Amino acid sequence: MTVKVEVVEGGIPHNTIMAAGLVASVIFVYLTYANVLTQTQLFSFFGGLAAVAAITWGSHTIKHLCSYGIGTGVPSAGMMAFGSGVIAMLFATKFGVASPIVAVVLAAVIGAVLGFLSNNVLNMRIPVMIQSLTEMAIVGALVLMGFAAMITGSFEFHALTSGSVSILGLSLPSYQASFIGGSLIAVVFMLGGIAVQHPFNACLGPNWTQDRMLTLAQECGFLSMITAAVMSMVFLSLSAALVSLVVAIVGWYYTYTKYIGLAKRDAAAWLDAKPIPELEGH
Amino acid sequence: MTAIGAKPAAGATMDIPSTIAGIILLIVIVGATYFLVGPGMMFYALLGVIIGGLLISFGVHFVPVGGAPAAMGQAPGIATGVAMLAAGAGLAGLFGGAWAAEQGLAVAVITGAVGGGLMMAITCMFVTFIYVFGMGIPSASGKVAKDPITGDTQTEYKSQGTEGHGLPFVSYVGGVTGGILGGGGGTLIYIMLLDVYKEALPAMMKAQAAQVVPIAVSLAGIFAIGMFLVNAVLTAYNITGTIEGPHDPKFKRFPRALVASAVASALCGMVAILIVAM
Repeated sequence: MTVKVEVVEGGIPHNTIMAAGLVASVIFVYLTYANVLTQTQLFSFFGGLAAVAAITWGSHTIKHLCSYGIGTGVPSAGMMAFGSGVIAMLFATKFGVASPIVAVVLAAVIGAVLGFLSNNVLNMRIPVMIQSLTEMAIVGALVLMGFAAMITGSFEFHALTSGSVSILGLSLPSYQASFIGGSLIAVVFMLGGIAVQHPFNACLGPNWTQDRMLTLAQECGFLSMITAAVMSMVFLSLSAALVSLVVAIVGWYYTYTKYIGLAKRDAAAWLDAKPIPELEGH
Repeated sequence: MTAIGAKPAAGATMDIPSTIAGIILLIVIVGATYFLVGPGMMFYALLGVIIGGLLISFGVHFVPVGGAPAAMGQAPGIATGVAMLAAGAGLAGLFGGAWAAEQGLAVAVITGAVGGGLMMAITCMFVTFIYVFGMGIPSASGKVAKDPITGDTQTEYKSQGTEGHGLPFVSYVGGVTGGILGGGGGTLIYIMLLDVYKEALPAMMKAQAAQVVPIAVSLAGIFAIGMFLVNAVLTAYNITGTIEGPHDPKFKRFPRALVASAVASALCGMVAILIVAM
């Protein structure tokens, strides 16, 4: 038996955020393909924006799921998302241009099976469990794919596994100096995993407000994007990496100031706290 | 029913139709893999991955976790979530096992198990130090009248209004057992996938065996971490929050977690193997 202890009052409905996050994230990932069409690397920053869109959506999914007392802590949802997402994302990179679509479909299948296992076999009986775990797996896959595209300029398996080292001016191919071979994927895994679970963990409570949490999610996403932009200097031309860095810093500064403003607003509004409402659904 | 009074608790019983559906799904996934890759190393790797997932899932049930209540001294266990603690033990084990990967399967898995067990032993030791000397809390279980191992009585040390507190001896032993099983299971998954990738990647990437080792290690490592987290969180969902260790009544729920983690490991393992087989 589970009871929903918090209610979404007002704000944007979850399905709208889900649709917007999914569409925006897939489109942004595909915009990095402009790199191939125009033979530059300047469009890599779109991968980071895809990750930010997916993180924003994922933070609201975690809120949606964890508002039912699942009793395991909010961070576990983020770990679940990336544990299942990384498997779908790595497999999908083998499909060339279709990679983002394959990642979404495969992650949805894996997430739905995990949701069925949690809800029915483990007998959790949470109405949104299957949908939420499906969404979380897609979020994990899209965040990883977005950051991979941002750091290496491509989301295809071949580009993620081969890099080059220059020795005495000679450029030599090396598998060790690549996104996967150098285990940068493990860094991105944690960057995304923390960014997606932190916003609800930090904002939960009686004074939870949707816009503040979503702004914090965007801020966490841009903060991860700054780190990813620094890592992309290894793989991309300096100009492309600087474009990513500037986009990330501007986005972070904007969302950070906005978040501080919202936090001040809600700090004053908290005085009107009420007992936990006993409403069904939302 | 008030929302405040209700505790988040999954039903304690097994859902038989769903369990059967899960087992059928498991057979379908294993059969599909057999059909796609044929009998050979890759198929046995999938079986190894499933066994590793089962070890992780069973091991996590032994780990005493208390979460926020334990931090306030109102419940026994380590004051953090199941997923975090299991990931810590598993990753510590994985590092140990990966270091010994060259020494063969048995040595690597045992090294991984020792790594996971050591991590849990050290964690439990410092938790006990903090509870006893920092917070002044005697260790007492709220779930049993006598410690099943030492036979010490618990009730006279238990504070009123709590579910017990600190880390009783049986919970300490449970934590180390859980670390051993989890670390060994995670290492087994890693070694199985590493062998598959070392075998298949050179032909797939048209490179020499020595060149693709970094890719094989990194892929196997990240897949092992992913599967570890999936299994740990599924098990965390099964025990819903806190558990004291093997003497806790919630421990009896482990059969359904084994079914769930076998299916999840099989699905993730199939995808991880198909990345080189297709």
